[in-house]
Amino acid sequence: MATRTTGAPEQVEQARELVEMSWDPITRIIGNLGIYTKIDFKNREVVECKSTSSLFRGYSVFMKGKDPRDAHFITSRICGICGDNHAVCSIYAQNMAYGVKPPPLAEWIINLGEAAEYMFDHTLFQDNLVFVDYCEQMVKETNPGLLRTAETTEAPNAGIHGYRTIADIMRAFNPFSGELYRQALQVSRITREMCCLMEGRHVHPSTLYPGGVGTVATPQVFTDYLSRLLNVLDFVKKAVPMNDDIFEFFYAALPGYEEVGRRRVMLGCWGSFQDPDAVDYQYKNMNDWGRKMFVTPGIVLDGELRTTNLVDINLGMRILLGSSYYEDWQSEETFVSHDPLGNPVDQRHPWNQTTLPKPQKRELDGGNYSWVMSPRWFDSRTGDHLALDTGGGPLARLWSTALAGLVDTGTVRATGHSVEINLPKSREFGEMQLEWQIPRWANTIERNRARAYFVAYAAAMAVHFVEQAMGEVRAGRTKVFSDFDVPDEAIGCGFHEAVRGVLSHHMVIRDGKIANYHPYPPTPWNASPRDMYGTPGPYEDAVQGLPIFEENGPDNFRGIDIMRTVRSFDPCLPCGVHMYLGGGKVLKQVHSPTFGTGVSG
Amino acid sequence: MTKKPSSLRIGRRDTRPDSPSHVKGVKEGNATGNYEKMDGHLPDGRSTAGRSTGINPRKHDPIDPDMPNLSPA
Repeated sequence: MATRTTGAPEQVEQARELVEMSWDPITRIIGNLGIYTKIDFKNREVVECKSTSSLFRGYSVFMKGKDPRDAHFITSRICGICGDNHAVCSIYAQNMAYGVKPPPLAEWIINLGEAAEYMFDHTLFQDNLVFVDYCEQMVKETNPGLLRTAETTEAPNAGIHGYRTIADIMRAFNPFSGELYRQALQVSRITREMCCLMEGRHVHPSTLYPGGVGTVATPQVFTDYLSRLLNVLDFVKKAVPMNDDIFEFFYAALPGYEEVGRRRVMLGCWGSFQDPDAVDYQYKNMNDWGRKMFVTPGIVLDGELRTTNLVDINLGMRILLGSSYYEDWQSEETFVSHDPLGNPVDQRHPWNQTTLPKPQKRELDGGNYSWVMSPRWFDSRTGDHLALDTGGGPLARLWSTALAGLVDTGTVRATGHSVEINLPKSREFGEMQLEWQIPRWANTIERNRARAYFVAYAAAMAVHFVEQAMGEVRAGRTKVFSDFDVPDEAIGCGFHEAVRGVLSHHMVIRDGKIANYHPYPPTPWNASPRDMYGTPGPYEDAVQGLPIFEENGPDNFRGIDIMRTVRSFDPCLPCGVHMYLGGGKVLKQVHSPTFGTGVSG
Repeated sequence: MTKKPSSLRIGRRDTRPDSPSHVKGVKEGNATGNYEKMDGHLPDGRSTAGRSTGINPRKHDPIDPDMPNLSPA
């Protein structure tokens, strides 16, 4: 709910009448995100925006001293919706540290589980949470004129999805009662089952380990997965054209809507779905096997692909402070001075970060105001610290994959300017080809549209992965894990895509225990506050300068355009900061250490 | 574990941060050489019914040696 924090409008030097409006917490997301804005209602524009998080968790603090083999089980608990992404990313980092390469079948099983996760999470978020902002009830409250237009606008793809007008689509979005809303809940159940078949459990996998998986690869496991996938394909084939219809309608009915949530194209994607033929988890070969991933890692800058090299991506990472509740770690220990290729590693790189929390009062005017730090990517060509965003995940993934033009599995082909997605025949529909074209803008609508296409991408990839996995099983190659020993000293890094964007885990092992561990999920990138150079984070940047299309005035302002923009990034604050300082009463304390911990180790 | 300086007031810890870590000398399931010791897992990555049952496993292998040996879970 919007809160108006100042009674009288504030006068600034340009004689603009600014009204402070805040939404804290923003609902329909996980965690405590607050958006504080100054709005010029006369000129219908958001003038200033600050994004804050009041949630601190401390993973990088309490991971120290743990057994590195527990890392994926512990870090999976960072998130209650994409925990398996964290587990997988941690496993990638551990594989590098232990020098182990899992058998091919294990990689296909992890890819299948992650594909199911993308389908599950994107469907749940898009259809049950994002579309509430585009549903009949909401549009009636915020833009009644737009709803009247929607009632008389035919949906171009009605022949596929069955909704005659745009307003019919909006009615299907209505929470709890809308047809699509309820169908999406069913789909998210089926896709969760698919994830469980491969990873044992959702959302904290029980059968994924460094070195492989514990999933017993029987033909039945894969046919159970495939039969569910074919049901999901029917839903996907309807959903993508319907998403196109609703978003094209917004562009047409509200001229200028492309400016909502628009920011410079600065997208980061860390790659997803390993290719077992290429990946050996060795840092020195990371550029080669990174480029073979089935979602190409890359940094897209102003529409051009800046790099696809994971080593460059890794070395460019900088964790800045500026508006966050932490003390600087510049004078703390340097854990990794050079990477295994001999390149220097910055003190602000996650490998060398020491988290020193400093709780304090929130000061939105020139002070510190968030528990989120400010991750940036250092562009060595320009010397800029770029506030990359993930485009909610899919926008960056599709953009980077499309431009790189490396992926070609038959079911998915990157063309250099688009991504072709070929979906096989399913129960209701024949074969269908979908093509995601690189959009003209990185804005709210395109972030949301890409999400629908990425569900199709993950489904098409899953078809390929099932075929590959079945090929291994039919050849009798059922090995799913490789042995390894935990070294006394090692470093590792894992790069993956959480559902809502870039995910990296950086680990330093000393004396067989974790000496330093830093997970960097997508939301620290997206929700970051102003850094030491004054650069705003992506939410702030996307909302500042946002034109207001809502028909309500200041008195009953819902802030729908701002909400649509923030939600288009798929915000997930438990990702954002990783303390509980309350003096609670301990009712019962049970400590069950690993066998033999009484003996000094 | 070295203690990092911080202005943050925190309580006394009642367990060492590395308590749940591995204790030297305890067997590890992931250790190299374990794969070879397990029944039913062949060196070339294939497996036999021995990985699923210890009761007459050979009787559960496929009747045609050219068939893939896919033991149940």
